[in-house]
Parts: sequence; C-alpha cells; structure tokens
Amino acid sequence: MGDNIRAGLISGIAFGVIIIITSLIGFFGTVSALLGEFLFDPKTQPAALYSLVLILALLGLWAGIRAAKPVGTDRWSGALVSGAVAGLSTGLFVGIYTLIIGGFNARGLDIRGYLAQMSPDAIRFLLFQLPPATAALSYFLLFTTTGLAGGFLAKTLGRGRLKKANQQLKSKITELWESTSVAVWLSKFPYTQYIVYGAIIILALLLPISLGQYWNFTLGTVGVYVLMGLGINIVVGMAGLLDLGYVAFFAVGAYTVGLLTSPQQLSQFQIDFWPAAFLAIVIAAITGIILGFPVLRLRGDYLAIVTLGFGEIIRILVRSDLLSDFTGGPQGVRQIDGPSLFGISLTNDRAYLYMIILAIMLAIFVTIRFKDSRVGRAWVAMREDETVSQAMGINTYTTKLLAFAVGAAFAGLGGVLFASRNQYIGPEDANLLVSINVLAVVIVGGMGSIPGVFLGAFVLKGLPEIMRQLQDYRILAFGALLVVMMIVRPEGLWPSQRRRLEMHEEELPLEELEETEAIGALEAALEESTK
Amino acid sequence: MKNTLETRALTKRFGGLVAVNKVDLVVPENSIVSVIGPNGAGKTTFFNCITGFYLPEEGDVLFEGSSIVGLTPDRISALGISRTYQNIRLFSNMATIENILVGQHPRLKSTWPEAVLHTRRQREEEKAALDEARRLLKFVGLSGLGDHLARNLPYGAQRRLEVARALASQPKLLLLDEPTAGMNIQETAEMIRFIQMLREKLGITILLIEHDMRVVMSISDQVSVLDYGEKIAEGTPTEIQNNPRVIEAYLGRGAATGLQQAEVKTT
Repeated sequence: MGDNIRAGLISGIAFGVIIIITSLIGFFGTVSALLGEFLFDPKTQPAALYSLVLILALLGLWAGIRAAKPVGTDRWSGALVSGAVAGLSTGLFVGIYTLIIGGFNARGLDIRGYLAQMSPDAIRFLLFQLPPATAALSYFLLFTTTGLAGGFLAKTLGRGRLKKANQQLKSKITELWESTSVAVWLSKFPYTQYIVYGAIIILALLLPISLGQYWNFTLGTVGVYVLMGLGINIVVGMAGLLDLGYVAFFAVGAYTVGLLTSPQQLSQFQIDFWPAAFLAIVIAAITGIILGFPVLRLRGDYLAIVTLGFGEIIRILVRSDLLSDFTGGPQGVRQIDGPSLFGISLTNDRAYLYMIILAIMLAIFVTIRFKDSRVGRAWVAMREDETVSQAMGINTYTTKLLAFAVGAAFAGLGGVLFASRNQYIGPEDANLLVSINVLAVVIVGGMGSIPGVFLGAFVLKGLPEIMRQLQDYRILAFGALLVVMMIVRPEGLWPSQRRRLEMHEEELPLEELEETEAIGALEAALEESTK
Repeated sequence: MKNTLETRALTKRFGGLVAVNKVDLVVPENSIVSVIGPNGAGKTTFFNCITGFYLPEEGDVLFEGSSIVGLTPDRISALGISRTYQNIRLFSNMATIENILVGQHPRLKSTWPEAVLHTRRQREEEKAALDEARRLLKFVGLSGLGDHLARNLPYGAQRRLEVARALASQPKLLLLDEPTAGMNIQETAEMIRFIQMLREKLGITILLIEHDMRVVMSISDQVSVLDYGEKIAEGTPTEIQNNPRVIEAYLGRGAATGLQQAEVKTT
C-alpha cells in the first residue's frame, strides 16, 4: 500500500508541475482553440472550453495509468489507490495554482509583464469562466476522478494484456500480408522497386503543378533542408565527422551566387545564373576542403567545436563592416538573379520547386553511388574506427577531405537555390540554428538513411508550417520531440536499411554457429575453398 | 632465403620510458616467428612501430629490403603488411562481408568519379571484390553469416573475421596480436591449425605476438623474447623453453634455478 501511495504521489506531482508550466506559457489556450476547431462546432458550442476539459481529462487519465502501472496492478485496491493518489495530488497542485492566478485576476493584477501569455482573458479561460474557488474545486474533482479512472483502466488493461493484444494484432497483419497472393507476387516481382521509383518520380513531377503558390514555396524550403540533410548525411551519417558549422557552406554557395548575379555588388563581374551557380557549388566544395585541412587530426568533440566556430566565423565575416562594401553587411545581398532557360524566366515558386526536386534527385543519385562504392565503405569504416581503417590501407586524410567537399557541395547547391529563389541572402539566413536544424533533420529521420532525411525535413520544417497557430511552441515541441526520439527510437524514424551483399539462399541463424565452429567443419571449409 | 621483415636497433621512447629498446628481429620469408614476453614488455608497441602508428626514435624497419620508417599506416598496409588486434577491433556496425570489403581497400583502384559514373571498370572491380569477399568468408568458415552485423558474431567468429579482413588486402606479411586470447582449448587448436594453413596454402609470412605457450611452441619456427623493451633471447622453441633468462623474466629471479632443481629431483 505504501508503494502505491508513493507511486501515486510521484506521478501526481510530476504531472501537476508539467501541467502548471505548460499552462503558464499559454500552451493550453492555443491547443484547445486548435483542437476545438477540429472536434467541435465552434458556432453552437464553446468548442475551446470543451477541448480544454478533454485535454485535462486525458492528462488526468494518463497520470492515473502512469501511477498504477509499475506497482500493484495485480490487485484492485492497489491500482485504484495509486490512481486516486495521483489524481488527488495533481488536482491539489493545479487547484492551488488556479486559485493563485484566479486571485491575481480578481484583484486586477496584470502579470503579463512576467508571463506574456497570461492575459486576463486567458486566465478566465483557464478558470472555465468560473470564480477562482469554484474553478479550483472543479480542477480538483476533475483530476481526482480521472486519476481514479486511470487506475481502473491500468488494472483492466494491464500491461501484459496490452502487450498481448499488440502482438496478436501484429501477427494478424503479417499473416494477412503473407496470405494475400498479391503481396507475395509483389515481393517476388523483380520490377517492384522500379515501379515504386517511377511512382515517386511521377508524384514529384505532378506535385508542383497541383499545388498553389504558398505550398510550392513551403515545400521548396523543406526541399532545401532535404538537400542539406542529404549533404550532412554524408559528413556526419557516413563519415562520422560531427560538423556543427554546416551552414557555412550553405552561406558560401548563397553568397557566391548572390555576389555574381546581383547588380548591387561587384556589378562589373555580373554573370549569368547558370555559370554563377556552378561556380558557387565549386567554391562551396573548395571551402569544405579548406575547413577540412586544419581539422584533419581532430576527432569527436574537438571537431564539433572547431566546425561550430568555423560556421560562426563565416556568418560574422559576411555581416562585418570590413566586408560590407562587398557583402552588404547586415543588410545582405539583394536583387539576386534567377535562372532562365531558352529565354524563359524560371523565377516563379513552381519552377524553383522543380529545380529543387531535380537537385534532390541528383543528390540522392550521387549519395547512392557513393554508398555502394569503395569510397563510401571507407567513410563508414572511418566512422567505426579511424585507427583501424588507416591500418586497412585507407588514406584517412583524402577520405575525410572528400567527405567534407561532397557534403559542402550539396549545401552550396542548397544555398544557390535558396538565395536565388528569395532574391536575397543575409547573414541571419546563415545562423547557428540552421546547422542545428539540419543536424536534427538527420537525427530525427535516421542517420545515414535517405528516406529518413525526407521524413525528418518534413517533420521539422513542414509540420510547423502546417500548424502555424502552434508556432510559438515550435522550439518546445522540437526539444520534446528530440528527447522523446532519443528515448523511444534512437535510430531515427526511418533508419537506414543495409543492403544484403552475401546473397546466400538462406541466412544462417547465429545460434547454429556453434556447430560450424567444430574443427572438422572449419577444416572441411578450408579444404574446399583452397581446392 | 630472403627476409620479409627486418628490424635494426628499433627504439621507441615515451618520455623517459623506453618501450622498445634496440630490438633486432629477422623474419625470413614464409616463416612463422613469435614474439613473446610478460605484460608490458613492449610487444604491441613493437607492432605499432612496424605498422607505422608510432614513429620509432632510432633504428630501422626494412620490409622486403627497403625502409618503411616514416610511412603512414595506409601506405605500409598497401605495401603488403596486414595486422589484427589484441582486443578485437572490427567495424562493428558494418556487415561481416563489408568488413572484408573494407580490407580489400588498398587493392581496389576505382576512384570516386568512377563510382558516381558507374564505369564499367568500377562495376567489374566491385563484382570481383564481392566474389573475393565471399570466398574469404568461406575460407574462414563464416559462410552464411556475411549479412550479419560484425558485432553480433560470437567471439571466435569475430577473431576469424578479423583475420579474414587482414587477409583481404592479400598481404605478404601478417602481424597477429594474440590471436588466441580468450579462446578455449578447442578454439585455440583450431586457430593454430588455421595459422599453419595460412602459411602452407597462401604462402604468407607470419609474425605473432602470443601469451599462450602451447601456441608459440607448436607453430613457431623461431621465437624472440622481449622483456622491458629489450630482446633477451632468441632461438627455436626448444632453446627458448630451456633458457634461464626467459624463465626468470616470466617467473621472477630464482625461479630458473628452482625449476632446474625441481627437474633434477623428478629425473
């Protein structure tokens, strides 16, 4: 019984504190408003209020389940006590909090100076439009009942039962999949992968036409991140060189194309977009090599710090007074020219999306070719154990420089497309957060995985665009997502698949190895192979 | 007979500590030479000097007659010296067969533009490399395990994979650092047989660091003993077994005379 009470208290206090903090930053108000539009009819019902109660009730349930699950789910009394204690303590905490903010409001104190989201209206909403004492009591009752219900749920569902149901569902799905002849035929059909590729290409071709300007622009931004993600995938994912200043190469590409095509700076050197883009990519790659030289001998954390510094140096350089005649200083470079082909200007968002998709396809093509080659294997070997890879005959210097150069070229290409689409590039487009975002794209998607980059870029750059109302909580959600990811799925959302190389008819399970380890078997293998 | 490897007064210091002190060693072609010695005698440091990870302060290392001191490890590997490690160091998150493919790196010639363009030469080279890797898998008895991650293999299999990876570059000289460490009697016997096979079937010269006396005595043509970085004895296994200085180094002062007395008593 003591254990149950303790578990309930821990869960209850944790949930209480989390609810109070998220409420203080105005999270409940925004989310309720958003959810209300989906679930209820705002014209006839107080939709936001309903969804607020719904969210709170679900949180209470969760607190109850969480408290009851680890201890005493085998006995009714234990589960219910845990759930009830969790609900009571959460209710007590949040109730007192409600009383306090309600009290402020009743006295006409404005606390927006300290907590920007806590306007009198928002507080009234959190109090269910009730007087403080009544609101506190209803919070208390709400959490107590839902906590108790959570304990009840935890007992009825039980951990074992949930797991069992899950397994049954899974085996049923695989059974269904295996039993359908279409699936078998598809998996055996040698052209399936080409059909999938074809479908993706057709989708990529149709997507920009079918979408409006806003979506073309948004997807273009996501696409630039995909491009950079593919680049950093080579540097960090494959070669294992933790580069925190990746945005520098993006900036080099963007500024090069800006300086060469904008009439503002260096007008005597103004050239056409295509040669400028080509030059920009080459210069970005060379910058990658220049960065590579001093850090050749650095490993791990030291490399991360030095590259971080490099990224900042580039940003500070382009905004400095020293180069402001050249780079425009903090104002950046404007009037960057766009591409044209056969006299047709390609400067609308749709044309840019097409170009970005093409660039991504090129990057994927290059990545795959590298991955399955001697160089790609050398990168991965270097990531696994640099010393041993050198002893295996890999020249780690040139191999590292190549990784930096290829990664930088991808980022440079991203920079070229980004700058010419926006017709502008400024120092703030190249801040540290971009490097971190790109790295997060790869981590969330799955290190070294190409589909993972798409998924990661969409989750981190696309979803915030879709949920504009939640923009204020982007960093919060971002941090929470990263933490949850690292705990639940450290390999990323879509981890990379290894190519099967040995192509044996049937793979030997590891347990059977003991038999082959017998001397006789080994010698037989030796004799046979040396014949 | 030609000498595959020769060290002349090889010396390596770490600050005041002399880890390897004027060691002369000759490894004739197609022989198995062992280096033994107590813990901390400088055996692994000696290996690191040969493979280019340490730069020796004095002395010379001759491989097939020419000096290799000052070359980077990858150049030395490309010349035909391959090694394994005392504590297995595989590329653990790569597939078994990929480990062997990496081992072939210095033999493969295709460059990155060729890889991107998938030229005919690159395709043929990759195919040949894959075939060779499968053959090596079979050679060390790991057929059917090629697509498992290296870290998931059992201990004995990891040791054999490390040897296969070292063989993939088709070395002339193979340095094995305690190849039977942590193995049971059966696995050790298997490894001894395997090392002999390497010399007989592939004609590879082998330099071996070993603790297990059974292994050293059963396969070595010649044994050198290191103690505190110095070579204190050299000779055939039987000569070494009866050398009082060696017994002293292993068992402490006085042990040699004690052992001899014990032998007298029993006979």
